[in-house]
Amino acid sequence: MSPPTGKVGQLTLAGQQQDEADEIQFKPLEWGLIRRLFTYTEPVKRKLFWLVGLTLTRAVQLPLLAWAVGFIISGPVADRDLPLLFWALGGYLLLAVSTDGLFHFRQRYALEIGETVVSALRAEIFAKMQRQPMSFFHRIKLGRIIGRVTSDVESLRVGIQDVFFVSMVQGGQMIVAALVMAWCDWVLFLVVVAMAPILWGVNRHFRVRLSRESRAATESFSRVTATLAESVNGIRVTQGFVRQETNAGLFRNLLNAHSRFNIALARTSAILVPLLELNSQFFIAILLMVGGWRTFHDLMTMADLIQFFFLANLFFSPIATLGTQYNNALIAMAGAERVFRLIDATPDWVDDPAAVDLPDSGREGAARGAAVEFRSVTFGYDPAQPVLHGVNFAAAPGQTVALVGHTGSGKSSIINLVAKFYLPTHGELLIDGREVRTITSRSLHRQMGMVQQQNFLFTGTVLDNIRMSRPEATDEDVREAARRLDCLDLLEALPRGLLTEVGERGAGLSVGQRQLICFTRALLADPRIVILDEATSSIDALTEARLQKALVELLRGRTSFIVAHRLSTIRHADCVLVLDQGRIIERGTHAELLARGGHYAELYAQFVQMEDAARPPSFS
Amino acid sequence: MAEPPPSPAAAPLPNWVLVRRLFGLAWRYRLHCIGVLLLQLVLLTMGIAGLSFTGLGIDYIRSQVEGVPLGDNPLHLAPPADWPPLHVLGLLAGLILVFALSRAVLNYAYAVSINKLVQQKLVVDLRAQVYDKLQRLSFRFFDANTTGSIITRVTGDVQAVRMFVDQVLMQSVIMLISLSVYVVYMMSLHPGLTLACLATTPLLAVISIWFSHKIQPEYARNRTLFERMVQSLAESIQGIAVTKGFGREDEDRAKFDASNQAVFDQQRGIFWRVSLFSPAVGLLTRINMLVLLGYGGWLVMQGHLPLGTGLIVFAGLLEQFSGQVNSVATLVNSVQQSLIGARRVFEILDAPVEVQSAPNAVRRPRLTGAVRFDRVSFAYTGITPVLREISLEVKPGQCVAILGATGAGKSVLMSLVPRFYDPTAGCLLIDGLDARRLHLDDLRRNIGLVFQESFLFSNTVGANIAFGHPEATPEQIIKAAKIAAAHDFIMALPKGYDTVLGESGSGLSGGQRQRLAIARAVLLEPAILLLDDSTAAIDSETEHEIFEALERAISGRTTFIVAHRLSTLRRADFIIVMEDGRIVQRGTHEELMRVPGPYLRVARLQLVDGRELQSPAPDKEVSP
Repeated sequence: MSPPTGKVGQLTLAGQQQDEADEIQFKPLEWGLIRRLFTYTEPVKRKLFWLVGLTLTRAVQLPLLAWAVGFIISGPVADRDLPLLFWALGGYLLLAVSTDGLFHFRQRYALEIGETVVSALRAEIFAKMQRQPMSFFHRIKLGRIIGRVTSDVESLRVGIQDVFFVSMVQGGQMIVAALVMAWCDWVLFLVVVAMAPILWGVNRHFRVRLSRESRAATESFSRVTATLAESVNGIRVTQGFVRQETNAGLFRNLLNAHSRFNIALARTSAILVPLLELNSQFFIAILLMVGGWRTFHDLMTMADLIQFFFLANLFFSPIATLGTQYNNALIAMAGAERVFRLIDATPDWVDDPAAVDLPDSGREGAARGAAVEFRSVTFGYDPAQPVLHGVNFAAAPGQTVALVGHTGSGKSSIINLVAKFYLPTHGELLIDGREVRTITSRSLHRQMGMVQQQNFLFTGTVLDNIRMSRPEATDEDVREAARRLDCLDLLEALPRGLLTEVGERGAGLSVGQRQLICFTRALLADPRIVILDEATSSIDALTEARLQKALVELLRGRTSFIVAHRLSTIRHADCVLVLDQGRIIERGTHAELLARGGHYAELYAQFVQMEDAARPPSFS
Repeated sequence: MAEPPPSPAAAPLPNWVLVRRLFGLAWRYRLHCIGVLLLQLVLLTMGIAGLSFTGLGIDYIRSQVEGVPLGDNPLHLAPPADWPPLHVLGLLAGLILVFALSRAVLNYAYAVSINKLVQQKLVVDLRAQVYDKLQRLSFRFFDANTTGSIITRVTGDVQAVRMFVDQVLMQSVIMLISLSVYVVYMMSLHPGLTLACLATTPLLAVISIWFSHKIQPEYARNRTLFERMVQSLAESIQGIAVTKGFGREDEDRAKFDASNQAVFDQQRGIFWRVSLFSPAVGLLTRINMLVLLGYGGWLVMQGHLPLGTGLIVFAGLLEQFSGQVNSVATLVNSVQQSLIGARRVFEILDAPVEVQSAPNAVRRPRLTGAVRFDRVSFAYTGITPVLREISLEVKPGQCVAILGATGAGKSVLMSLVPRFYDPTAGCLLIDGLDARRLHLDDLRRNIGLVFQESFLFSNTVGANIAFGHPEATPEQIIKAAKIAAAHDFIMALPKGYDTVLGESGSGLSGGQRQRLAIARAVLLEPAILLLDDSTAAIDSETEHEIFEALERAISGRTTFIVAHRLSTLRRADFIIVMEDGRIVQRGTHEELMRVPGPYLRVARLQLVDGRELQSPAPDKEVSP
């Protein structure tokens, strides 16, 4: 027996269990990924073309402007040449206006191209993801997909709109500045060039450290947020168990830990920024010494010395910017890899291209339902571990099939197969006599109505949620469906009736009310196959009593599959399948099975015995 | 509960009150703030000195090479005349280096110090304060605010408040000091040139402020659209079974594409504005430079201004000056944002704690568990009562089962016992005392709660059971687990009591979570036990196990249990049936089975299953 040593030193461990092994932060540049990214600029090809031109122009304009300032000071001003000063100033004005005028387009085009790519990627991720079968959604975490669509796609935006074009401008600026400096004085230029790699190295070192620390800070912050979220969600428990003081202390510890990460981050950036500034001051000191000496010895003109003061910055400042962009490029690569991996993920299966639509035959009466037949169906979520073994049964149109068994006996798997959320590993599943693989998923789903225990509602009104099963239905159709389920009055009793907003995950409504919406939604679809997966188990007893008649209405004439643990629902089934470890061990009507005295009768006895255990004498 | 939540509507604080309180907040850290400001002043002076040395160096070289006389400069720096020229340059270069180095060190100290102030003190203090307050607020507050918005108050809004201290208050003082230092220095160089160069500055400031005023709402709108898009994505994934189940993938995709397109379309407007603003600012800065070169150049030619310490220093100062003016817009923005954040933070700090112990509360560490409702009414908003004149007496050790439809008031009735809400009218007596007179901690420590959703924290199983009593010994925890029939499944978990549960207890079945919740409640050995709808969503096999757990947990305690199953209902000492906030039926199972009414209806539905086949004797009359 292991001693229960709970970690009471922490309020929660939320946000600490990260299994994000593939969430690498950087990835080396990869030509294939870059090329693929740029294919998304195809719709704005002309803009891209112009942008490259504008960028190249700017790369020349910026150093030219700095050179012009140096030239004016060291030339006409130092030489007291007034007419030349006027011409030079005129030239400067023209250059300034053209530079900033073109900058409008350079900036706007870059932003627009970035947004085009980002938007297209998001749409593609969504479309590709939606095509995935259910197994995909059971594997992947919601947070991960959201991470792809938000932060990863944002890092790609930076990659597209900034890294390439900013680097081009900055690189060009460096080259032009270098050329002018080399032309002015090659000795001083060599000094400048010698300093460049040091600056680059220092910059890279600190950038990498900064990214690492900022990630650590983000992670520690997500722990703060996760803890906070749990505290808010569990506030009833906290207050009920008088844990406020303890929690406050623990939360403060967490905050202190987070602030340590922040301070570490601040320290690193507090070193990098002054270091960069120090570099340019260091260069000015050298310039004064070496330049002064060279000027005194007539190896260099005063004008060239002044030029260096202005051009040196033009040469140094891109180094820091390029370093940042390089970092962004590596982050974008890692993001691109993850995004494309999600887009490229091959679905476990897709509809057979030769699949045809399932005809929606018969409007009313018994023929409305579909015939469903399992022929020695074997199935496992992991094919190596089957959860259903050779299941055989047939449901005639309009029949109600109840599935009974312990947790893990295979009830939900049968339902998942009927819904074509998964495909059988072996054997055949026939719907209206057609093998399920030859039917398009969509046509099958359009003829199906499903109510699950986890009743999910979308943001929007009650009306929107009901109508989602048949978007073309009128308000009156919706009302009629609710009326047939005998729950219209309950829905209209909501604060704003059918127009009540159901907030995040249908908050504000009770479980029972949400379930009613789900039932109405299923009925509105006028399905041929109805699936109720523990649909009534979360409804209160009084509402359930009301819903009994409604259920009869929903099931009438339709083929239905019901998983329920309330015997009242099972009793009326045409056929009860008792499952155990993936096999059907008994089948028949409620009465037949009771009479047989087998497994079902035993289950039933347990239920009844529980009732007996509760007889008054045992208690009080 | 389905009732529309009320909003704790108090009049919003006026801006000046907010500003005053924010000043008060900053005042608490005044020593640290003043230190940081002094450091900034030193840095500023050293920067100007460094720039002047550079200018002096140029002028000196020029005087040596071209024979241009050294002009005066505002700092009256003059190189020693009798030194060899290279020594003078060496001295200047050395000074520049020394200043640069000390500036680097001081800059580091400044950055670290301000971060320590805000990140280590201010933010931590404020967050801890808000969190502490949050935990004491009554449930009304949590009914009225979504989890997301509450989280934002502790995270983003607190950051906005600290922004007032370091980015508004400190920054504006720094800006004021540096702008005046720059202006004074430039004026002493040449007043006319200073005025000419700064002529465009007011325009720059106005444009910046106007732009940020225009663009802020656009960005806010963009954030909203973006959040909506992410929300739409998240819902699509969470509801994928529904979407696929009805074959409505296309509609769902159209919905997402529309929200994605909305972000795209809205961005275009922002892009246009941004790409008009930044070139305009760039052009204004260059026009400043043009004026400086023209007018300043002419002055140098006339010999009114030295080239190095005059023109070049001026160019450097002007650049820093424009930088400061540009950040006026950021400052104006920060003011707005920090006021919005501050309002939301103070809202929480000021929120009255509706439910708390009276100053002279009675201490009762052990209660016997007698509960009496004396004509208790309750309303969330004050308009529609959810409970109407409830009178009910429960003796110590008795078990009351509550049956009712959703919204009938069952959960609210139970919430009044631990004073999650106080009655709007009438009186709740516990052990003969008005619950409001009892010390709140004593009251709640005597009550064991099992909630409908059995919320568990992402912590170890053991820590979850010991939640209400962190100092519990392992023996106590195991004992509680055994009572709740949870010990066996806990031992079967990979690490027993040390197994860490996933977020909100994922990884356990509903029945297992429920049993942990029961263990958590019985660990406190409470006199009163409240069980809310705990067996609704559990399949029959686990129900059987829970049933045992409940049996043991209930014995000897005053128990309120919301129940739907006959099995649970019949074992109660008496049952109340609620409808619309009223008790419409009360009595024992046997009594209620004799009268037509809602109870009989529910009972029939559940009894048709087998009573008539199995043991027909007592319930023959209800067979269909």
